[in-house]
Amino acid sequence: MFFAYFKRGLLAGGVAGIAYGLFMATVANPLVGYLEHAQHGHSHAPEGGTVVAESTTALVSVGGGLLWALFLGGCFGIALYFLEPALPGRGAAKGFVLAASGFLTISVTPWLVLPPFAPGAEQALSTDIRFALYGGLVVLGGAIAATSVLAYNRIEPQSRGLAAVAGATPVVATVVVLPLVSPTLVTHPELSADLVVAYRAMVVLSQGSIWLLIAATFGWLQRRNLLESTTTKSPQPTS
Amino acid sequence: MTSQSDTVADRIETARAEIAPTTALAIFGFGAAITFTLLVLQEPLAHESLHNFRHAAGIVCH
Repeated sequence: MFFAYFKRGLLAGGVAGIAYGLFMATVANPLVGYLEHAQHGHSHAPEGGTVVAESTTALVSVGGGLLWALFLGGCFGIALYFLEPALPGRGAAKGFVLAASGFLTISVTPWLVLPPFAPGAEQALSTDIRFALYGGLVVLGGAIAATSVLAYNRIEPQSRGLAAVAGATPVVATVVVLPLVSPTLVTHPELSADLVVAYRAMVVLSQGSIWLLIAATFGWLQRRNLLESTTTKSPQPTS
Repeated sequence: MTSQSDTVADRIETARAEIAPTTALAIFGFGAAITFTLLVLQEPLAHESLHNFRHAAGIVCH
């Protein structure tokens, strides 16, 4: 049963990965490339020279996107197998709750302090410190997601509406408070504020779409599997 | 196999019987390798190649 979930998760990740790879190839790659050139040749390579050809970067980035979604799908399948009994909702709804929790944990919560940045951004902190901070924020995000689910489950027997409010409270509070208390760690001195906002919206929406697509595909595969197993069982009625 | 009434502990129990330790290790190792390559690796060649992806996915370790 574990392997059925794992395989389904990888399949769902593959579907999301193809979509995300296409997005990388058609939208993100050209945009990042454009932003780079717009700011007089920003590059990570020393002395302004690029280490690898631009076409290689584009191709590897598309592959990276595919692998990323596949990885998330696999993790999703494993986590759903273990956590399914504890998640609120019924059937495919559990998958969407898990996907939202995953998105909150590994993307949204860290982004509230370290927002996604375009090429040419100026960082207040070094890579090592940012990495540690990111890790800490992932843990915080996981704790918030768990608190939400536990709060919902505790109140759900009394009132569903009240439980939904209790479940949403930790998430909303985090999204509102965390950006207010954290200092600005990333700036884009050469880009207009509108462009930075649009860029961030693109990153948030594309990552959210990966999770949504994984949960939707997983639910569809599960339903189809359930349908198949019931139709093969029907010729010999039990009881 | 609808398993609506089981608990998280049951699932862990089933998984323990179902998955061999080596398989679990292989899955974990593979996941760790992907995470490391995509998110953390700072080696210039890999770093530059994954540059667009890291920007587009909002990965900060960069």
